[in-house]
Formats: sequence, C-alpha cells, structure tokens
Amino acid sequence: MAEVLKVAARETTGKQHIKRLRIAGLVPAVLYGHGEQNVNLAVADDDLAAMLRRHARVVELKGAVNEKALVRDMQWDVYGIGVLHVDFSRISEHERVSVEVPIEVRGDAPGVKEGGMVEVIVHTVEIECEAEAIPDKIEINVKELRLGGEIHARDVALPSGVLMITEGDVLLLHCVKPKVMGEVAPAEGAVAEPEIIGRKPGDEEEEAAQK
Amino acid sequence: MALMPKRAKHRKSQRGRIRGNATRGNTVVFGDFGLQAMQPGWVSAQTIEAGRVAASQYLRNEGRLYIRVFPHKPITSIPLETRMGKGKGEPEYWAAVIKPGTVLYEISGVTEEAARMCMARLAHKMPIRVRFVKRKTA
Repeated sequence: MAEVLKVAARETTGKQHIKRLRIAGLVPAVLYGHGEQNVNLAVADDDLAAMLRRHARVVELKGAVNEKALVRDMQWDVYGIGVLHVDFSRISEHERVSVEVPIEVRGDAPGVKEGGMVEVIVHTVEIECEAEAIPDKIEINVKELRLGGEIHARDVALPSGVLMITEGDVLLLHCVKPKVMGEVAPAEGAVAEPEIIGRKPGDEEEEAAQK
Repeated sequence: MALMPKRAKHRKSQRGRIRGNATRGNTVVFGDFGLQAMQPGWVSAQTIEAGRVAASQYLRNEGRLYIRVFPHKPITSIPLETRMGKGKGEPEYWAAVIKPGTVLYEISGVTEEAARMCMARLAHKMPIRVRFVKRKTA
C-alpha cells in the first residue's frame, strides 16, 4: 500500500512566488512522465517529513491529481535539513523502474579480526524492479569477507524480481588494512613556500634587492 | 611541513569576503558521517592538522578519516611593533576558505556512537560552529 500524500495545484512559478510558498509551509513539487503534461504541485512540508520518516518511495497523490507516483528526485537546502523541491514521476501498476538504492553491510567480516577494516567504496547501486517492490536497501553479507577480499556488484544477492543495473565488475566494498593517515611534520623556522608558477629562481633575490 | 599547495600562481592573495553558502562539498560523500560547517571562516592548515591528530588519536587505526578541505589561501601578516605602511606583509600561514554547509571531515568504518565521539573531539579544535551529519540515504 503506497503512502497517501495530499497535494495542491500550484499556479505560480518563479523565485519570488516559490519563496512565499516555502514561508507558508509548502514545498514546491512537479509531476511528470508517461508523455503527459507536467503538473506543478505544492506539498505540505509536514506531510513530506512524515513521508521521509517512513522511507516511502512510491506515493499515492491525492488532491489536485489522483495518481500513483515515484519520488524521483529531491533537492535539499545547503545543510541537508529542509526539502526545497520534489520530483514525482508517474508510474502505473507493475511498471518496472530503475532506482538507486543504498547498500547496507551485514555481519562481521573475519577479515576485521585479521587486522583489516571493511571499506565501502560505492554506497548505492542502481537496480531495476517493480515500483511497488523497491527495497529500502540492498543487504550485503560480509561473513565470508577475509582480509584482501572484495565484493563486486555481480556478487550481491538480490531479492526476487530485482535486476542489477550497476555493472557487475564495479567494486562495492573490500576488506583492507587501515591506511595510516599521513603524518604532517611541523614546519621548521620560517614558513616554507610553494613553488610560484612562472617565476625563475633568481627573481626573488632581485625583488629583495629592489626593496 | 604543514598542509599547503605544492605550486601556486601568486605568493599572496587578497583577503576577500565569504559570501553565500557552500553549493558544492556540502554532502557526505566518502564516509558515513561528517562534520559540517555552520559558519563561514578560515580554517588554517595547522587547525586542519590538529583535527586530524585528534581524530586519529581517538580512532586508533579503526575506521578511516577523510579530510574534505584543503588550505589553498596564503594569509599574510605584518610583524609586531612594525610601523604601518611599507606594503603587504609576508605569508604567515595557509588557510581553507569555508562557506556554511561545507563538510570538513568524514569518517567511515566506525559505529555512529564512535563517530559522534570522534567528531565532538574534532569540533573542539574548529574555529567555527560545526555540526555532526550523516550520509543521506536515497
């Protein structure tokens, strides 16, 4: 059952109008897809926050439009706290969509006991599945990941009906020895200066002599 | 040698003004948790290094720390007890120009609790107000 989201039609566009809309507690949104006309919408930010808390990807839009839609994209403010804009994409029943889903590491890797650490290289994978059955995350079991071991996209066990779009040889995570963070030696005496592009070694002495 | 560019076009730069917010480098990209600036300011190479040391002492070879900022800006100063004039001072240190929203450090491979503790230690070193942030999922 998809989450129900109340939406209102939005007649106005442009920076000033959108600013007023946000002050009134609404978030601008757009609905597009299936070769039909785009519809400008406004969603209450409380409803949107509730939708985000429940990690809903597919929503049932009610109000100005009555359609099922996929949350295709979201724009966040600078601090990543508030939502600035939402893109909804029309979907029909049993339609297959391709979406980015985060990966989650499960289990304890034996490589960690051998002195390694599990380093995640790619945090999301692209999958294709029915819009109604988009998994929240793709779990990757690392119970057999030893030191120096790697897990590629092709090694991931996917739920039934889910197809991996990310290329198989993409490295998702590996177990490696922790890198020793490069120590920076303190500067001795006068501050060392970088090489100045386009300046010859003798130039500095000439400048000093002029002073 | 402290963090600084290997090559530079000019020895000195004008001070400039920090206007607006960070539109790039404002999300957690490499790790799972980060430290985000809430104020504009200059963070010196020495401070960035102090943060790294504080984090590595807490992490003790667990997890990984990513430094997301680099000191590109030469900061000059005039020596003490010097009369005004006689031109611009000499480069004193290097600093990173930070806009609000910039993610300064990131951590991966540790629990959220450990990351919070580590970032709290790191935040004490910073000359600007910062906050703990998590990677955004989906």
